[in-house]
Amino acid sequence: MSLHPSRPMRSLTIASALLLSGALCCFNAFAAEPTLEEKVEILQKELDALKAQLALLTAAKAGTPQATSASASPAIASAAGASEAGSTTIGGYGELAYNKYRNNSAHDNEADMRRFVLFFGHRFTDNLRFVSELEIEHAVVSNEDEGEAEIEQAYLDYRVSDTLNFKAGLFLIPLGLLNETHEPPTYYGVERNEVETRIIPSTWREGGLGVYGEVAPGLRYDVGVTTGFNAAKLDDPSTGFRSAHQELQKSKANDLSMYAALNYRGIPGLHVGGGIFSGNTAQKGASLTDPTAKLLLQGVNARLTLWDLHARYSSGDLDLQALYAKGRLSNADTIAAAILAEQLASDPTATGIAVPKSIYGWYTQAAYHLWKNGDMDLAPFVRYEKFNTQQSVATGFSANPFNDERVVTTGFNFRLHPQVVLKADYQKFKADPTLDRLNLGVGYMF
Amino acid sequence: MRRFTPFLLAFAVSMHAAIAEERTYLAPADFIASVFPQNEPAPKVLWLTNELRREAARILGHEPQQLRQKYWSDGQRTLWILDEVGKEDPITAGFVVKDDRIDQARVLIYRESRGSEIRLPAFLAQFRGAGLAPDGTLSTPIDSISGATLSVNAMVRMSRLALLYDRAALSK
Repeated sequence: MSLHPSRPMRSLTIASALLLSGALCCFNAFAAEPTLEEKVEILQKELDALKAQLALLTAAKAGTPQATSASASPAIASAAGASEAGSTTIGGYGELAYNKYRNNSAHDNEADMRRFVLFFGHRFTDNLRFVSELEIEHAVVSNEDEGEAEIEQAYLDYRVSDTLNFKAGLFLIPLGLLNETHEPPTYYGVERNEVETRIIPSTWREGGLGVYGEVAPGLRYDVGVTTGFNAAKLDDPSTGFRSAHQELQKSKANDLSMYAALNYRGIPGLHVGGGIFSGNTAQKGASLTDPTAKLLLQGVNARLTLWDLHARYSSGDLDLQALYAKGRLSNADTIAAAILAEQLASDPTATGIAVPKSIYGWYTQAAYHLWKNGDMDLAPFVRYEKFNTQQSVATGFSANPFNDERVVTTGFNFRLHPQVVLKADYQKFKADPTLDRLNLGVGYMF
Repeated sequence: MRRFTPFLLAFAVSMHAAIAEERTYLAPADFIASVFPQNEPAPKVLWLTNELRREAARILGHEPQQLRQKYWSDGQRTLWILDEVGKEDPITAGFVVKDDRIDQARVLIYRESRGSEIRLPAFLAQFRGAGLAPDGTLSTPIDSISGATLSVNAMVRMSRLALLYDRAALSK
């Protein structure tokens, strides 16, 4: 088959003419002063918007709150410099995941609406605001299902100045890179990284009082007093101390904890920082029912200290990230004895929990923005993680070798929009290869 | 208690001073005056025709706030003061455009609780010289700030909008 020699050229000419006329048309559309009719139409729209704004203000004055989406409703958004007091904002994020295991006989493949989260915020004055995050995990919450409904954040924030802000309520602990910024488009991989899940128990929140601000341009401090862990709840050493965190659900508060963090973001693309969280986890054995077990935790200083150092550097198309986290629990032997005593009270065959004395983990990650087109962005990445949730355990117990793990994750994030992402990756586990899996995911935030 | 009294007094005074402080890094009027120190031009109005609104909506991801956009120009440069929501609250920023390129970008008022690092000169310097690429994005990549993704996105969207409006204003 042969092509007519002039056809491609003619097509090109027609296309060029169309493009040129299109461009001229657009140019004229911008260039031409609007007609009188267009101006009247614009003024009419402006009048309608003002009427709507007036109606909202009247409603607000009458005590009916005005709700605005965080990213929408521009017609009622502020003019430059206007106060935002009285406004209520709504936002959210969510993610769906599909896990296909290489060894399907050991683990079932699974599709899950992992998280569905809504933010509600209200600004009482320019300085005082309420922040909340309501989450539903695994789509359905009922007695027969694994789903959970959780309040991840609910706190009041009072701004005094850039250097001094207070918050009180249920809020996220500023450790690591993921815990405070965990919306799916902001991190690589379908699954959150293992280190910031098992060593730093993201999404980790506590109830208490916090102070934060900037001490120098780009240098932020966070300090506070909060509820802490309850060691008697420990039941899954594969997740470090995660099973002992209380999430402000009738938290035992006989012992409080403290945290401090310092983060520097003063150079574009660079973020370095670290944080520490420390507190007694004995809680006077408050959640134990067996008198012997309870007595064991009276007056015990079972101090848990978690700390981390992290860095992220994004320049041009390259995005590098690294984190090291470590946790140490004192008097782990006493805690193990108390948990065993509690278990034996109801089950004479119980063997207790190998309570971790120390845990650690680190990862490095590299991503490259390979292709961009408008808002679309394709970024392959690779992440290497090493962690051990039972680096050392209570005397008389043995660590599970599967908890000393190394994971390589390779895949890509494909952003359809800065706030919408499609993800695919493959994870390879060294100690427990039955966990090797292909992950597919969809995430959004608004 | 007596020992702590001076500290409490000092704290109260510093709190009072701090509360009086606004989170306005540069008042819009001061920004305009700083750009045109000799002879401040009278504000002009850009009528947002349907075509221009469509283009603006493509950049912002929603309809633009204004139906007419106020701006200032000395014939060579245009100055735009724009509002755009980062995560929850509007960020007010000022842009000066010259020869189809961003000449200056400033965060004027910041209302979000996190991400205020976008006001720092090192971040804003990245916008200088940026123009509009053929696909409507910025011609220069902007290095983000960790934990402030939505605020950075808002600044990038506003800078693209300023470039679009400048093109429309100067082609009148």
